[in-house]
Amino acid sequence: MTVFISGGCKNGKSTLAERTAKALAGDGPLYYIATMIPHDEEDEERIRRHVAARAGMGFITLEQGRDILQCLSRAREGGAFLMDSVTALLSNEMFRPGGVMDWNAGERVADDLLRFARSCGNAVFVSDFIYSDAGRYDEYTEAYRRGLALCDKTLARACDTVVEVCSSNFILHKGELPV
Amino acid sequence: MDLIIGGAFQGKLDYARNAFGLREEEIVTCTPDSEPDWNARCLCRVEDYVLDCVRRGVSPEEKFRPDAVLVGRDIFCGVVPIDPEERAWREETGRSDSRLSRGADSVTRLFCGIPQKLK
Repeated sequence: MTVFISGGCKNGKSTLAERTAKALAGDGPLYYIATMIPHDEEDEERIRRHVAARAGMGFITLEQGRDILQCLSRAREGGAFLMDSVTALLSNEMFRPGGVMDWNAGERVADDLLRFARSCGNAVFVSDFIYSDAGRYDEYTEAYRRGLALCDKTLARACDTVVEVCSSNFILHKGELPV
Repeated sequence: MDLIIGGAFQGKLDYARNAFGLREEEIVTCTPDSEPDWNARCLCRVEDYVLDCVRRGVSPEEKFRPDAVLVGRDIFCGVVPIDPEERAWREETGRSDSRLSRGADSVTRLFCGIPQKLK
């Protein structure tokens, strides 16, 4: 089963995602796909704290800031993946090291995510809803927003369940939640 | 009139095309510097028409045809902008969409490509 979760920040998306992934994993392995790429000692420390917190919940952390399909080899063992977040993955793929911008990252990552969702068995994907404001952005930000929306729409179409989280309340747009 | 709202890039126009069988020539895109073609079957980017009204200092009119399909972005959800024009635009779009919703035969919100019937 695959579940797509989006909504505003600090609204309870990750909490719901962790609970859902745990339920989907059953007795199998529970993988957390960590998408944040650390840039300094402060990031390293934040990641160490998060890894320790998740280990207590039974998560095995897979560090994968780019090339998400690399994680698929683990799918043979059953269990479930939690990918938090699509937002960070696309950011890493679009804004490359050395200040290089990949304008086609949206299409490429959406394609990767579709393949991942079809082959992974069980997974929960977390994204961020950044589309409803009056901001007028530069072309880089607009390309990113368009790319993320493409990833979101692709996953929403492919996943069994689609949930919008609003202040820890859940709006079910498609399917059912296993928790 | 049928109203379709949602965030940027959420698949609003694709939904409008499919749900109402719209042909491309029936879809007119509003701009922030001209009066829309009120005879159009479908007016999209309604928020840009509202921006045009804000710039001219007038209230948005509702001269669309009775069977019109209106498509607009819900730009009123984010942070209050510092720019006075953006601030007025955001508020006027909120008011305008509420008015349109009250008079609409149906209101649909798009979330990541999935339609949600609000009315």
